[in-house]
Amino acid sequence: MTAILQTQKLRVEYRSRDFRQGNKIALNGLDLEVHAGEVFGFLGPNGAGKTTTMNVLLGFVPPSSGGASLFGIDVRQPIARQRIGYLPELTYYYKFLTAEELLRFYAKIFGLTRAETDKRIAELLKLVELEHAAKRPIKSYSKGMQQRVGLAQSLINNPDLLILDEPTSGLDPLGRMKVREIIQRLKEQGKTVFFSSHELGEVEAICDRVAILDQGDLKAIGTVAEVSAGSANLEQAFLKIVGYQPSSAS
Amino acid sequence: MKISPLSMLAVLGALAFTLSASLALTADNWSGRAKSDNVFGMMFGDGRKLFANHFFTMADVYFHSGYYPSVFDQRATEEKEIISASHGHKDSEEDEKNEDFLGKPKDWVDAFGRNFRITQHTHLENHNEREILPWLRLAADLDPQKTEVYTVGAFFLREHLNRPDQAEVFLREGLRNNPDSYEILFELGRVYHDAYHDLDRARNVWQLGIKKFMVAPADRQKDDKLIFEELVVNLARIEDEAGNYGAAIDWFHAAQKVSPAPDALQKQIDAIQKKMAALIPVTPGKLY
Amino acid sequence: MSKIFALAGVVIKELYRRKDFYVLFVLTALLTLGAGMVNFFHDDKIVRYVKDICLLLIWVSALVISVVTTARQIPAEREARTIFPLLAKPVSRAQVIVGKFLGCWLATGVALVVFYFFFAVVTGSKEHFWPWAAYLEAVWMHWVMLGVVIAMVLLGSIYFAAPSSTSTITIIVVGGILLLGTHLKIIALQQPEPMQFILTLGYFVMPHLEWYDLRDFVVYDMGLVPVRAVALATLYAAVWTGIFLVLAWLGFRRKNLTT
Repeated sequence: MTAILQTQKLRVEYRSRDFRQGNKIALNGLDLEVHAGEVFGFLGPNGAGKTTTMNVLLGFVPPSSGGASLFGIDVRQPIARQRIGYLPELTYYYKFLTAEELLRFYAKIFGLTRAETDKRIAELLKLVELEHAAKRPIKSYSKGMQQRVGLAQSLINNPDLLILDEPTSGLDPLGRMKVREIIQRLKEQGKTVFFSSHELGEVEAICDRVAILDQGDLKAIGTVAEVSAGSANLEQAFLKIVGYQPSSAS
Repeated sequence: MKISPLSMLAVLGALAFTLSASLALTADNWSGRAKSDNVFGMMFGDGRKLFANHFFTMADVYFHSGYYPSVFDQRATEEKEIISASHGHKDSEEDEKNEDFLGKPKDWVDAFGRNFRITQHTHLENHNEREILPWLRLAADLDPQKTEVYTVGAFFLREHLNRPDQAEVFLREGLRNNPDSYEILFELGRVYHDAYHDLDRARNVWQLGIKKFMVAPADRQKDDKLIFEELVVNLARIEDEAGNYGAAIDWFHAAQKVSPAPDALQKQIDAIQKKMAALIPVTPGKLY
Repeated sequence: MSKIFALAGVVIKELYRRKDFYVLFVLTALLTLGAGMVNFFHDDKIVRYVKDICLLLIWVSALVISVVTTARQIPAEREARTIFPLLAKPVSRAQVIVGKFLGCWLATGVALVVFYFFFAVVTGSKEHFWPWAAYLEAVWMHWVMLGVVIAMVLLGSIYFAAPSSTSTITIIVVGGILLLGTHLKIIALQQPEPMQFILTLGYFVMPHLEWYDLRDFVVYDMGLVPVRAVALATLYAAVWTGIFLVLAWLGFRRKNLTT
């Protein structure tokens, strides 16, 4: 299978503000491959290195050593991001724009024609169920609507790879369900989805493969069944892998 | 006890009103600023005089259409004389126009920068002198005791803009604010004499000006000798015009005592004496 | 270029959808009309003080609009985290800097046209005289100068996280240059060493923004500045704008946006 997202011995070190502590290792030689058409769950406790990995893939943070590529192109090249869509966690889009204007802006960044843009905007607003609010300024949107407009912007270029950073974070159950449905539909359309989440239930439900990261190290990778082997479910397996010790009181 | 927000607001409102009513009289004595008779006095206190000076200078800047030395240029060269009622006389104007505070460019920055500065020394003319008036008006409002504002304003209104009526109004206002100002009285006399040709009124205000000068403090008298000379010489001239040659000669004699050019005045006395020779002698009266 | 124009378009939309511009325009209009209605000595032909007041307000307003709009661009993108979906698209950091600059500069240009049109209407209706060429030259020079200021603010906004710090520092620097730029050498000569050397050096290496202030030419109807001088001044401003933008890009390129 073709690997459209790849990291090779990816290492990221941050200089600590306290010089006595030395450098902090955020990623320690991560080797990862995500194949075309799969939904890949990227799991780990807070501070495991999930967001750092995404930041490297998106060119926000340079690797200290090793490398990363998207569609075989080094992530340091802006063109590597031509065929991806990205949904960051907790973003407050330009509140003075309407959803339609926001999508039109991002479409221009991708150099879409006017006709393509109009078509894409109509499709996406329907997909994220925001047609009724398309001409309203984003500042009037609820949190769930903002997250859906974020999802729409990540899809404006009809990407082959979607990188989603905690896409359901902070949403109510209905909002989560809607986002999950959208990911399912994208999967059906043959898109590759790489997403991080703390919601292990939803990861279990929609992911083909998962990877578990802890303190910058890759602890496990495989299908949900492979990773959960020997445990009751993915959550039990996750806790075991990250070394969680339940206290006697609980 | 539960108090509704509305009744709480009503109680606070009543309290505020009671306090303001009872404190109003006391507050009057807290600051002299509140007692000022104009809005600028209330806003700026004595600081208004600084603004008045600035606006008076602005009038001069306007008169020169922006060709004007900055405070830094002034420090580097000599202190510039600010606009006065002598502006507009052809001879003094031509001398002043030859002044060049800029000099040669100091470097390429200065040389290139002069493309974007006004580098021609011009004076307003053809009734454009009116453009200085707003600044004089503001200066007078900010510092009603700045007498030169009234004299300069009246001079331009009378001499350049043909508006002696407005000049008189402005000077009267100045006189109300500065009842002892012989400078304003002198300019008022010029309005009566030059614009209205009313010799009696001109004589009255100039004589009053001299009386004010005589009771002024010694140091002011010393500084304002030239104004006194102008008052006296102008009185001499109107007496000459009116045919009161004796009085005219007496005024010229008084002027000679303070004039830097007594010989020039003597020539005028001689000319009057020649005229008198053909007439019945006139007994000189008490001047002041 | 389409990416840069797309970025610029968002900035322009931001300007006309925020209240800053309208508030400053209304304030300028009210003060100018108020000043214009005052009657001095029953002479209704007096106009230059109105021009002076209006142009001063325009200069202050335009400076505030350009500085405040620019200062918040990059910090707001970081605070709202919109910088991440933006940079996750095929757009370089250099393009973001240029797009933001262009947006702020064009937006300020639109504001200037509105302000100067108001100026021309108000003063022209009083003196029945419209020296359009002089107005055009004054607007152009003003706009070109604001280009340098905007690039300077953009550079500041890379290093200062709070837009208020960037705005305050830039307004002080620009105000200082406008007031003292021409005279800095005279001031230097009056100082002891090493201050004399420092001020003289500053005089030669600072951007001479005071050249772009043609208010006196407009107020006193002094005609036009030679076209060659305007062209050279435009080139000078373009070089300074370039210097600030390159410095801003160098800072932004290395900036860790995730902390």
